[in-house]
Amino acid sequence: MTAPAHSDVTPHSPAQLVRLVAGREVSTRIRDKGFLIGSAVLIVLIVGLLVFQVAINSGSETTRIAVVGGSEAVTGALETQAEALDVDVQVTEYDDEGAARTAVEDGDVDGALLDPAGARPELLVENDGGQVETLVQGAVQGLSISQQLADAGVQLTSPPEVEVVALDADADADVEAAVVALVGVVVLYSLLILFGQFVAQGVVEEKSSRVVELLLATMRPWQLLAGKILGLGLLGLGQMVVIAVVGVAGALAFDVVELPGRLIGTVVTVVAWFVLGYAFYASVFAAAASLVSRQEDLGSVITPASIVLVVGFVVSVQAAQDPTGSLATVTSFVPGLSPLVMPVRQAAGGAAWWEVAVAVVLMLVAIAAIVRIGGRVYAGALLRTGGKVKFREALSAER
Amino acid sequence: MLEFDGLYKAYGSNQVLEGVGFGVAAGQMFGFCGSNGAGKTTTMRIAMGLARADAGEVRWAGRPVDEAVRRRIGYMPEERGLYPKMKVGEQLTYFARLHGMDAAPAARAAGAWAERLGLGERRDDRVEKLSLGNQQRVQLAAALVSEPDVLILDEPFSGLDPVGVDSLADALLEQCRRGVPVVFSSHQLDLVERLCDAVGILARGRIVASGSVAELRTSAAGRQLRVVAPDAAPGWAAAVPGVRVVSEQRGDAVLELAPGTDDQQVLAAALATGRVTHFAWREPTLVELFRDAVTDTREVAA
Repeated sequence: MTAPAHSDVTPHSPAQLVRLVAGREVSTRIRDKGFLIGSAVLIVLIVGLLVFQVAINSGSETTRIAVVGGSEAVTGALETQAEALDVDVQVTEYDDEGAARTAVEDGDVDGALLDPAGARPELLVENDGGQVETLVQGAVQGLSISQQLADAGVQLTSPPEVEVVALDADADADVEAAVVALVGVVVLYSLLILFGQFVAQGVVEEKSSRVVELLLATMRPWQLLAGKILGLGLLGLGQMVVIAVVGVAGALAFDVVELPGRLIGTVVTVVAWFVLGYAFYASVFAAAASLVSRQEDLGSVITPASIVLVVGFVVSVQAAQDPTGSLATVTSFVPGLSPLVMPVRQAAGGAAWWEVAVAVVLMLVAIAAIVRIGGRVYAGALLRTGGKVKFREALSAER
Repeated sequence: MLEFDGLYKAYGSNQVLEGVGFGVAAGQMFGFCGSNGAGKTTTMRIAMGLARADAGEVRWAGRPVDEAVRRRIGYMPEERGLYPKMKVGEQLTYFARLHGMDAAPAARAAGAWAERLGLGERRDDRVEKLSLGNQQRVQLAAALVSEPDVLILDEPFSGLDPVGVDSLADALLEQCRRGVPVVFSSHQLDLVERLCDAVGILARGRIVASGSVAELRTSAAGRQLRVVAPDAAPGWAAAVPGVRVVSEQRGDAVLELAPGTDDQQVLAAALATGRVTHFAWREPTLVELFRDAVTDTREVAA
């Protein structure tokens, strides 16, 4: 037997085949216009959300006051008063009343304080004093009182500082973390849908173009399935991480969160749950998609799994408002729903470590089962083209 | 030697293969014929591991064909299959790599095969943009790109124009010269007759005839003798013992001889009538052999 010799050819291990398939998935998808546009939109959304936050914060909380004939003491009094009222204040000196008046009329400042140290200080506002009035009133009174006391020769000792004991120091941070987790879950949900679709479309594409027969002549169905899921999964994870980094970096740069440590912890949790959620849904979507041979029929088979995803999303939004409620508690253990609900509960501080552990274990068990059953369905249905294969048939199919 | 040995396969109650067996030697071109639904595709899919035989096995070099061997087989499925949105060159590289080649040699081989099959300028085009004929070439290139040890091609000639047929035939003959056994199925029997060293005819799940075309001819039952004796009176041949007249028209007679009948006796009888302008055994074409082989089993089966 004279079989030609091949110096270029080395037999592949299963891992190499899986890597080849994964590599093809990544390199075709990364050049796909739909994918690129989708990714860009998600990142723009996250950045937009941050900018929106910053705009709201800056617009409402800084009070700008023009002062005519002020002094350091006046500015100091205004700032002390602002701190007591928990607002930011920006004091600007103006030379004369006319300039200050114009500044108020133009909306450059919220109010103009004339002759603050005199007998008849005056506050110019556009129409309504509001917060500026309270602030200025307090500052001028304080100034006046200390002036009068000093004139009367009273020596002031510093008043005692009140010690503040917080009973639930994290309450605000919990809310903030829950909001971050919710934003994270929105991204997670979008990416699960997006990449679940990619997996499903890829499976159907191979089936409808019949290329699957050529592929299966060189590898086993599970290798093809694993390569596809891993390749797209890495891409999805990469995108998740990019969004997370952009989001966290942006949040820190714009200073929109109070506890950066909590923020990062929450984001890491969401990314970890993405991995589990993706493994689950990608397997389900792949097995479902293998039952049909045309893209047009895809909707009918992946709808049930999509509905579970939507339900998980709706519950997680509800959980963000009521993280200790029984709906959130129960669903955070249900495989398939847990990746969307548990991160919100965790972030809100409503989940004990053992609860998270149980949810993760349940999810892993479910993934193992799905991969086994889904893999069989996939292998059984892959070579049956034309029409829709019934789930039972695919499961019991002998090649 | 590529051996198909006693393959049985049933889908439900439909028994498709009932002991299909034949061998293809290195460097041999084997034409696989049979009516629609005879089981050609199933046989090839069993060899490629795409269907599991109920009994029997396929061997290459004495070893049952397993995954490692299959990666050394170039395969062209009946239902053509390529990634529609992948570029020609990338696609060929990918298939070469799936068959075990490293990245750089795979890319080189892809480029070389694209060039050889006249796809050089289309290397960066998506497959879906090519004409059907060109897609067919890509399909063939995908089967050949890894320099396989064995070729199994299901209906490789269908849908090709005469020029395409010739270039595919050349490519296959070249593979044979390399020592590669080539099995292909086809309905174009003239092509099979022209190209193949050996032919197997599949009918009702069995190989009903196999061997070289010449062997099939000699073993064929009901060979016919054509005698043209222009001056002969009608019925002259029927008078010769052991002769059955198939047709007779103005001295042009087609005869079938019973076993043991001497054709020289027939010639003598013909000469006795006057001039004989034609006396020859008719060489049955493969089409006729095929028809006979297929009908025979139908009758047996019925």
